[in-house]
Amino acid sequence: MVDAKELWKSCLNEIENEVSKANFSTWFRNTSILKEEGGVIYIGVPNEFVRDWLQNKYHKLITKTVAGFFDTMRAVEYAITKIEGPQKDLPIQNAESFMNNELPLKDLYINKEDNLNPRYKFDSFIVGAFNELAYAAAQAIINKPGASYNPFFVYGGTGLGKTHLIQAIGNSIKEKHLDKKVHYITLEKFATDLVNSFTAGNNKTNAFKEKYRKYDLLIIDDIQFIGKMEKTQEELFHTFNTFYENNKQIVFSSDKHPNFIPGLEDRLKSRFAAGMIVDISEPEYESRLAILKVKSKELGVTLSEELLRYMAESIQGNIRELEGGLNTIICQYRLKNKAISVGEAKTLLKNSIKPKKNVAIKEVVKTVADFYNLGEMEIYEKTRRKEIVRARQVVMYILREDFNVSYPLIGQKLGGKDHTTVIHSHLKIKTDLKNDSSLVQDLEQIRIMFK
Amino acid sequence: MKLECDLGKIKNAVSFTEKITSKNMTLPVLNSILLTASGKSLKLRSTNLSIGVEIEIPSKIEKDGVLAVSGAVLYGVFSNINQNENIILKEDNGNLMVQTKKSKVKIKCQPYDDFPTIPNVSGSNFIINSEKFIGGIKSVYFSASVSDIKPEISSVYIYSNDDGLVFVSTDSFRLAEKKIKMNNTLEVSGILIPFKNIPEIIRIFSETKGDIKVCFNKNQISLSADGVYFTSRVIDGVFPDYKQIIPKENKTEAVVLKQDLLNALKLSNIFSDKFNQLNLKVLPKEKMFEISSQNSNVGENNTNLDAALSGENVELSFNYKYFLDCFGSINSDSIVLKLNQSNRPMVISGVSDQSFTYLIMPMNR
Repeated sequence: MVDAKELWKSCLNEIENEVSKANFSTWFRNTSILKEEGGVIYIGVPNEFVRDWLQNKYHKLITKTVAGFFDTMRAVEYAITKIEGPQKDLPIQNAESFMNNELPLKDLYINKEDNLNPRYKFDSFIVGAFNELAYAAAQAIINKPGASYNPFFVYGGTGLGKTHLIQAIGNSIKEKHLDKKVHYITLEKFATDLVNSFTAGNNKTNAFKEKYRKYDLLIIDDIQFIGKMEKTQEELFHTFNTFYENNKQIVFSSDKHPNFIPGLEDRLKSRFAAGMIVDISEPEYESRLAILKVKSKELGVTLSEELLRYMAESIQGNIRELEGGLNTIICQYRLKNKAISVGEAKTLLKNSIKPKKNVAIKEVVKTVADFYNLGEMEIYEKTRRKEIVRARQVVMYILREDFNVSYPLIGQKLGGKDHTTVIHSHLKIKTDLKNDSSLVQDLEQIRIMFK
Repeated sequence: MKLECDLGKIKNAVSFTEKITSKNMTLPVLNSILLTASGKSLKLRSTNLSIGVEIEIPSKIEKDGVLAVSGAVLYGVFSNINQNENIILKEDNGNLMVQTKKSKVKIKCQPYDDFPTIPNVSGSNFIINSEKFIGGIKSVYFSASVSDIKPEISSVYIYSNDDGLVFVSTDSFRLAEKKIKMNNTLEVSGILIPFKNIPEIIRIFSETKGDIKVCFNKNQISLSADGVYFTSRVIDGVFPDYKQIIPKENKTEAVVLKQDLLNALKLSNIFSDKFNQLNLKVLPKEKMFEISSQNSNVGENNTNLDAALSGENVELSFNYKYFLDCFGSINSDSIVLKLNQSNRPMVISGVSDQSFTYLIMPMNR
């Protein structure tokens, strides 16, 4: 089929000659061709007044005109569509609206049927090196839900855009596949729902099963809390199987890799692993800069490139911290009504900027010792017991890799070892990491504990 | 067309339909009321393409016919005929003749071919007592946002809960919620009626006794009762899940007489500044409830009110306009103010009437 826009444009040109100008501009403005399906052309109209009028008065004319351009057409139907108004006009922030605090409604525009917040879209999703894999996988899922990566499991720290990503998947699928029923739920709500169904009796338990199984796409957020909920795990397992067997897409998010969710049953773990597991890490400098640019634009403020660069450089945390920093700056900007210099920003942001990672060596030792179930003092001991040696090497590796402590200092602090010993340990872990997947997981887990 | 009908009834119908007529540059016929005589009734219809209304009045029809007459002219004519009797309407060479015993009026008509039909709404429906429905809308619609930027909140939101209907509006600075109890359970997942169309609904149905039938779908709502059919566009959008922002507990509580508070607010109004700022001190420990405002050009005032207080001391500022707006919706002699810290909303409701809840966000000081 030719481009729908072009087709409709040529139709309108012809219709314009047939009807009076008044009628044309009243009834044909804001109309469009939505789609063509099996020879039926769907014309989008702004409301029922227009639909009824076109149907009663101009149906013949429209059918004839469209048929002239599109000869395999069989029928014309009308459907009401939302007109995307100029969403860009942001409310002008005058002094008065600044005085009046707003109710925190912004995040509560939640569609009741599917629990999705329509604000979360890919338009406002910033893709960078830190999340491009997750983004690419999401796009594949949107094109063919249930077929490519099922289940899709996203994990990453707090405030990195997991919820945004998985909600955007839901919103896009809803848009693209009109017949698909999407449902978003947090694990907590899922569990509450389940418990309620138990207390309500047998009938309701079935209703619970029915309720979730009728969806085509299920998105469960914050799955990491499932550990202690045995009954929920069981129910999720069954729900999961039903979805999986019917090739329906499931999406999970968590702040940990499934292997590190404490108390997660193996059968669930292996099922999560059957699809695709991706992580979202912290944004790197370029992405942070891009995020700041987009956010400040959204808030209707222009900040100098220099200032943005400074902020992107100094706020090295998650996206939420970036937003916090940006809000502080904008607040000041509005109060003073003049541009903020980098110098001023420095003082303003001193609380949002985390000091460079500066963990006491003892802290690292303690964390690693805890992780391996060893006493803290054992690490310092002069012993060659295998498990202690391994732990000690891990400590050295982390101190060097993550905290940039010098080799001699590490040696000195860990019971007077020579710096060559430290270099050796560092290298040993580095090479072992290439082959030993359990060591990789250990390290990931330990690093999470430092956050 | 030739018919005879009751003057009072047609007067009423003209006054309701005339309000909907509009000046439309591209479709001038929209400034007229369409009169259709057929069977045993005369129908008057008008629309502005966002609202449509059709009123049916029983008439003695001698000859069927259709005419489109300027709404303003028709309204002017009927508001100046005051005899208590039947009147005769007839068509004469494309003009409308209005005859009573004593007067004769001839009004020029417009071609009616382009007069739009109004949608007949199909979808879910329910029946509700008109007083309840209008009461529900009236209690909240003043809180809706007047700007078009967010159509979802520039509207009155209606949905059903376990024992009736809930009406909500917010402009994001304050929020009003009214619960109406019903005997039968309804299934209304959510309707958003544009705020601009609400005054017309109230005007047309406030006199109606008995039930209104409400039909609605994703795009359109209709209300019908007593030969009146009203339809409005609805907004296809998502209303915020506002329940999450209603504070579940509070640190400070004050109960005051509604009239006392109202008087104090009116006094403060005289001295409020250009931001309508009003300061409220609720100090349970000192047993003090004080409202004050100051304006450097006018003066200042402090009013202490008798109040039953409990909880922690708190001081806040509000826009007095937002405060004042809710008084009409509270059917109770005393009202409760529930407060938290200075950046959390204040909750207002009647002591004996829990069906209405009002939230105001404090101002930055």
